Amino acid sequence: MIDILKLSVQLYAPELVCVVLMCLLLVAEAMHHEEGTDRTKVYLLATLGLVVTAGLLIMNLGAAPSAAFYKAVVIDSFGTLMKLIMVLGTLGALWLAHSSKDIYSNLKSEFAVMAVGTLIGGMLLASANNMLTLYLGIEILSILSYVMTSLKREDSTSTEAGMKYALYGGLTAGVMLFGMSHIYGMLGSIQFAEIVPKVAELQGADQVFLMASFLLFFAGLGYKISAFPFHMWSPDVYQGAPIPVTAFFAIVPKMAGMAVLIRVSHLFFAGDGALSVAWVGLLHVVAALTMTVGNVSAIGQDSVKRLLAFSSIGHVGMMIMGVVVLNEVGTRAIIYYGMAYLFMTLVAFWITSVLNDTYGTDSQAVFRGLIYRHPVMAIMMSIVLFSLAGMPPFSGFVAKFNILSVVIEKKYYGLAFIAALNSVVGLYYYMKLIKEMVFSKAESTEPVVGFTDSTRVLIVALTIPVVMMGIFWDGLMGLSGGAKLFLQ
Amino acid sequence: MSGLLNWILWSPIVGMIAILAIPKGNDNATRWTALVSTAITFALTLVLYANFDQSIPGMQPDFLVKMPWIEQFHIFYSLGIDGISLPMTLLNGLLFFLCIMSSWTVEKNLKGYFALLLMLQSTVFGVFFSLDFFLFYVYWEVMLIPMFFLIGVWGGENREYAAVKFFLYTFFGSIVMLVGIIALYYATGKGVDSFSILAMHGGKFTDMTVHIFGTDFSFEHLFFWTMFLGFAIKVPVFPFHTWLPHAHVQAPTAVSVILAGVLLKMGTYGFLRFSFPIFPAASVEYSTIIGVLGLISVIYGALCAMAQDDIKKLIAYSSVSHMGFVMMGMAAMNTQGMNGAVLQMFNHGTSTAMMFLLIGVLYERSHHRWIVRPDGTKGFGGLYTQMPKYSIIFIIGMFASMGLPGLSGFISEALIFLGIYPKFTTMTVLALIGLLLGAAYLLWAFKRMFFGDVNDEVKEYDDMNLREVAYMVPLCICVVVFGIFPSPILNIMKASVGQLVDLLSKY
Repeated sequence: MIDILKLSVQLYAPELVCVVLMCLLLVAEAMHHEEGTDRTKVYLLATLGLVVTAGLLIMNLGAAPSAAFYKAVVIDSFGTLMKLIMVLGTLGALWLAHSSKDIYSNLKSEFAVMAVGTLIGGMLLASANNMLTLYLGIEILSILSYVMTSLKREDSTSTEAGMKYALYGGLTAGVMLFGMSHIYGMLGSIQFAEIVPKVAELQGADQVFLMASFLLFFAGLGYKISAFPFHMWSPDVYQGAPIPVTAFFAIVPKMAGMAVLIRVSHLFFAGDGALSVAWVGLLHVVAALTMTVGNVSAIGQDSVKRLLAFSSIGHVGMMIMGVVVLNEVGTRAIIYYGMAYLFMTLVAFWITSVLNDTYGTDSQAVFRGLIYRHPVMAIMMSIVLFSLAGMPPFSGFVAKFNILSVVIEKKYYGLAFIAALNSVVGLYYYMKLIKEMVFSKAESTEPVVGFTDSTRVLIVALTIPVVMMGIFWDGLMGLSGGAKLFLQ
Repeated sequence: MSGLLNWILWSPIVGMIAILAIPKGNDNATRWTALVSTAITFALTLVLYANFDQSIPGMQPDFLVKMPWIEQFHIFYSLGIDGISLPMTLLNGLLFFLCIMSSWTVEKNLKGYFALLLMLQSTVFGVFFSLDFFLFYVYWEVMLIPMFFLIGVWGGENREYAAVKFFLYTFFGSIVMLVGIIALYYATGKGVDSFSILAMHGGKFTDMTVHIFGTDFSFEHLFFWTMFLGFAIKVPVFPFHTWLPHAHVQAPTAVSVILAGVLLKMGTYGFLRFSFPIFPAASVEYSTIIGVLGLISVIYGALCAMAQDDIKKLIAYSSVSHMGFVMMGMAAMNTQGMNGAVLQMFNHGTSTAMMFLLIGVLYERSHHRWIVRPDGTKGFGGLYTQMPKYSIIFIIGMFASMGLPGLSGFISEALIFLGIYPKFTTMTVLALIGLLLGAAYLLWAFKRMFFGDVNDEVKEYDDMNLREVAYMVPLCICVVVFGIFPSPILNIMKASVGQLVDLLSKY
């Protein structure tokens, strides 16, 4: 038993580092409690911890998939890559929070603590190998998210968003638990490894019933990744939450939810039985509707945060297309997508954050004539927006190309055409923002205070991967070092 | 010689980087850098022309470039040139060089303007050189970015709308095409050469079917139409032409020239390089539809042109009409028709470029383009007495556009008519009406602008200066020389066109 535990701890080192980091951050937070103290040290500590975590994750990459803690979690290349994206996303959001005025200065360290906590939940989700760890992951992720949303205590939209998030989240988590209990009731186990063979044996009415339970299960998951029809919370929460939190939400919980969706779909529905056909059909519809609803709703938005929220719904729809195909290339396409999306989102939110700090609003009007005031920033934002719209030679195009390509390989042409039309809609609203930045005259010519030298360097540095990943992406799709992605 | 295509493709980018490196405020240095860069590029395209072997029907083996890019998808950075892309390459080299000269007077944000123009030139070369479908698509799309900014920032009053419309329309066409490209990749068996355009040639997809929303479609037919959409929007063929007048009217002079001179040709080039050789059976089957759409473009474009009071819009619609002839020539699918189509692509490039440049010259003096103002008064009048040099060049350009014998437009249109007559006799007759309308709207516009009493405003206009004459002369020479002696262009395309016609004649 000791051996198993030892091995498990070894495999689970990245998460354990995060837990230790969170405890240390709590202490550090207490030491920097006074109003007006500089909290850079706390952030440096968090950065150090996250870098160590990322390093450990990278070391784990090549290893063969293996289960730990009596199969409660599984460590495989797929989960590790998803965790890596989440860690990088947290790191980015953290430094955004450090410079943003949207997070009150006395809450800055708290943000670090909670972000790392949420990250732990997300990492647990990406590794979950039984129903219990899965639920635990979802709850850790959610409860801290609720608090983070309403971090801007005195702002009514922020508290309202937190409330909405909590209510909606509580409801769907309940529904999900209900579904899980049915699955347990029918199959007699919470371990994925034990359930999977039993699923194949089910016949007739049992299959229908199990499908219904999985639908309930999907409700909880769909809510986390804001898939249609569980996406309604997302624009309000994105708009209400402080910008660093929004950037964080766009990456970490989404990728965690995607990880679960991918793992569950691959484990339970990999075959070609009636259940798989039903699940794939469901995902087809969900993918198509999610991207269409997201992109179409984004058109009329004036608040950039809200626009990015709807656009992220559109991107989730695209990512779900990679799940529909239920094969390894599809998963790799999603991982690439997540990676590309990470950098694009960070840059977009960073620039929005600086403008929001200066003008107190994130309306598109604050972007007006940015090219005449901060040409480099406007060019970076344009690159990122073009990339989000899927224009070559940026990473967003390669991401879209990969997803379209796996879908077409499976001959789901209908879905491919829907995705193609969606990217036209997407281009329209991204272009409107670019138009505002580049074509319109600026109302004032004063430089924006927030674009300090260090911020500008950082934004350029974050944009470089957006371009590079669009040109030199050979091998990026096979990042797992040749190892199998999943533990089957 | 093997790296020549690389040199041509990347020299504008080098120029662009040089321009970006020049500190702000050095306007003349920026202009000269752009001019030198495009001059070098143009010289390189002439070197390419000099070393071109006219007897080889396919890609010139001396100039092939092939390097692995994304090995996992078998995507190559592969470039090549044949008789269909060479005329377009020459045109691209020449027009950008002249456009830089014509842009000497641009004041607003000069650095960005020239940098974007050079970027545009490189991407257009990329489109004509690519032998890898993925590479082609990347260039095809990237090209939209400089165009979007060039129209949107340096354009006229309504430039934002025009830029957005242009971008969205083209993007729509190309993204649908992307689905087709990926489908072709899997259909060729995702092997070593599966993104290679040449490997897709030859009608390999005639028997395949696809299943969409519960219905079976023929692979060849479905993806012929997705590709058709992408290229038809670019040409533009009726009814996909509505973006063109806006884009043309709002774009600055140089961008209009490039748009009409080179970018529209990318659509018809797409048909010749992709649609026809990859889906020959469907192309032959639907050639009547292509021909009819071409005919509608000819007549509808001409009628629209006749109704315009804005001279630039008039020329924009005349482009729709002239590109319709190209479509008809291609639809004939015989030697004369195809040769005529490719020649018309080149000749329209020179003559329309002339017209747009001339309008630009006038606009710099008048700051309006009304033949008849909305309030009914004449916008110009008696230009002939006021600006004789301008008028002579205008006459040459106009007659070339009209297809007057002895000038370039005549040869290509005559070839097209020779080609389509055996196949679509009725349509030939109807297309002749289009030709007549073409003469009508141009001459009518000429009468209203150049004859009659000299307006008070017009009295203040200077005639063309040396710089303006300098960039018009090469085009005048092209128009006159290729009108009398078209063989330098016809000979280079002959073998390649012949190969394509042979392939199509089997279906």
